[in-house]
Amino acid sequence: MKDAPSATAEPDDDDVERRDDGRKIVHVDMDAFFASVEQRDDPALRGLPVAVGGSAARGVVAAASYEARVFGVRSAMPSVTARRRCPDLIFVKSRFDVYRSVSNQIREIFAEFTDLIEPLSLDEAYLDVTENKQGIPHASAVALEVRKRIKEVTGLNASAGISYNKFLAKMASDLNKPNGQAVITPAMGPAFVADLPVKKFHGVGPATARRMEAHGLLTGRDLRDKPLGWLREHFGKSGQWYYRISRGIDHRPVQSHRERKSVGSEDTFSQDIADLAPACAELGKLAAKVWESCEAKGLSGRTVTVKVKYNDFRQITRRSTQPGPLRSASELEDAAVALLAPLYPFERSVRLLGVTVSTFDRPDTAVPELHEQLSLW
Amino acid sequence: MTAVPEVQKTSIATLPPARGPKRFETIMRVTLERSNLLKSLNHVHRVVERRNTIPILSNVLLRAGDGRLQLKATDLDLEITEATPAEIGQAGATTVPAHLLYDIVRKLPDGSEVELSTNGENTAMSVSSGRSKFSLQCLPETDFPDLTAGTFSHGFDLPAPQLKMLIDRTQFAISTEETRYYLNGIYLHTIEGEGTLSLRAVATDGHRLARAEVEAPMGSEGMPGIIIPRKTVGEVQKLVDNPELTVRVEISDAKIRLSLGDIVMTSKLIDGTFPDYQRVIPAGNDKQMTIDCAEFARAVDRVSTISSERGRAVKLSIADGQLTLTVHNPDSGSAVEELHVGYEADPLDIGFNARYLLDITNQLAGSQAVFMLADPGSPTLIHDMAGDAALYVLMPMRV
Repeated sequence: MKDAPSATAEPDDDDVERRDDGRKIVHVDMDAFFASVEQRDDPALRGLPVAVGGSAARGVVAAASYEARVFGVRSAMPSVTARRRCPDLIFVKSRFDVYRSVSNQIREIFAEFTDLIEPLSLDEAYLDVTENKQGIPHASAVALEVRKRIKEVTGLNASAGISYNKFLAKMASDLNKPNGQAVITPAMGPAFVADLPVKKFHGVGPATARRMEAHGLLTGRDLRDKPLGWLREHFGKSGQWYYRISRGIDHRPVQSHRERKSVGSEDTFSQDIADLAPACAELGKLAAKVWESCEAKGLSGRTVTVKVKYNDFRQITRRSTQPGPLRSASELEDAAVALLAPLYPFERSVRLLGVTVSTFDRPDTAVPELHEQLSLW
Repeated sequence: MTAVPEVQKTSIATLPPARGPKRFETIMRVTLERSNLLKSLNHVHRVVERRNTIPILSNVLLRAGDGRLQLKATDLDLEITEATPAEIGQAGATTVPAHLLYDIVRKLPDGSEVELSTNGENTAMSVSSGRSKFSLQCLPETDFPDLTAGTFSHGFDLPAPQLKMLIDRTQFAISTEETRYYLNGIYLHTIEGEGTLSLRAVATDGHRLARAEVEAPMGSEGMPGIIIPRKTVGEVQKLVDNPELTVRVEISDAKIRLSLGDIVMTSKLIDGTFPDYQRVIPAGNDKQMTIDCAEFARAVDRVSTISSERGRAVKLSIADGQLTLTVHNPDSGSAVEELHVGYEADPLDIGFNARYLLDITNQLAGSQAVFMLADPGSPTLIHDMAGDAALYVLMPMRV
């Protein structure tokens, strides 16, 4: 088997060089989604700096309107910081059920054009419109049409990026935001990525970026100048990916059915927790929530992860994998408590706790036991 | 990390009286035979976890006095102390890294003598033997945790062979699944039956159950049912080989203490409720199969060669004095073996995990055992024909 060339073998360099595989990918991104929904539904908020999220001591901005962004307010920013930057900032409580229903409306619009839809979150999705249902020849025209329909149905603005792969489509959607779109053609791709800082590349996180910078790799151009062998030697398997992406090549397909890898929930407390009993009580609440969510999605997992963030923002996780799928919310809670208990006495007070379930048994991936072991209890 | 200052805090409170005025007392000097030191270290150092966040828990406490060197190690759940003869130059105590000391003594030449002595500040201890000399960093003995506090409500003496039997017969069935923590040990309790009181050990992982008992020793009457943690069980098992030994067992709601000659083990108990195991021991199984233990074990072992993670089941087809063992593994092949058994009931097909069967046959003391079967979906009872009153319950696999 090993000697025989097969379709799954690592692509040779010819394939790597093939930068354009003839696809037309559109990345649609709603403009300041949560904040725009709030401004749409409450005319009094229009034209004003609005932040969606908790204004409480430990709230975090979930979304900021463009009026607020002028002041430097960004999503994921602590509300306290946001308030300091923009004293007139209006905080609005999030209404996720509304955002979810608007998001569904948008997905229905996408479905008018293609079935190859990969939602990234409530307000972002990739569409593969190479063969779209309306037979529109130009992907830019499809993007224009999609944005027009979104405006008609929801009254909200969307931006779009059009390119020949997912990475560049996503990069493009940021170019003419808000309420605009941009195209990166196969001819423009390599030049576009050459000037990008490495940390902008998909798959390059802060740690990899630091390692690259240590090697003097600051931009796509620097990466492109390195031979494939060198990249493999220094970055392992990912070397191949960096080699391609620095040439604007990304063969990842638009996946309409993305597998869910984990279900989790976490909570930041209004007051830090120092004792085990209240921490376990919080774990119980989180476990119940996660279990409900797993049941709703029909998932049964075997791995439990507990996340602990101390009040100095240091974060640790502990995980354990059971031999079989978890059977109840209380089993999940027991497993979570068993992971947390050894951490007590806590190094510092606990600011946040999280519970996540993963390693889902799927009929196609799980190795089925041929025979079922029966239990005494 | 805060756990460390925590320990130090308490020590600072207790240190001045212990170390200040009687500074000379903390200097220790003791000479003993390497073989004695090694034997004791071998017993106590296993308790010490390799990775510790609390530094003192990596250490072994050494206390010299009264012609003996006492060694003590703990993981906060289990504590072992052992005393060994020594020539005391200066009575005193200190703590040094346990695994390090063990490794050093292990490498010293056979038949040598070892001198242990601390410096005036009790910050370092030297280990000298012949031309070898080591210096180890010490932590003050006053920081060393003590599990022995508290009183015991019940106490009895048990011959080591009886304790060993209780452990050997049941230990394999202890659950390793941490969510059901109350199954992570042996449930030891007394039970009244047919006019006599028995001391009984039970372990189960939910798939199989093992039960062994001895006549209740004097002093065990009215003792609380206790769950002895797996690690403690394992350590006790290694120390009960001497058939002459009598073990003193003392029990409270939260702790057990076992005195085995020069060794004293004190362990916390698992704080939980052991399930009502009597409920799952079948009483009405009427199909009786008598097997030759050794022959059966070898046959199961042979056919299970073909089984894998994915199919660990062995099928037992029993009819008219004949047992056919079958393993079918779609990934690799199949195996069949036939053997004669005592069986007169209606034919029956039933599947078991081969590993579980072997775990049980490994414990069978007699040459013959009896399987009491009901149907392929109900628990099977296995009696050892040797008279040590052990029984096993095994749930089938669906085949």
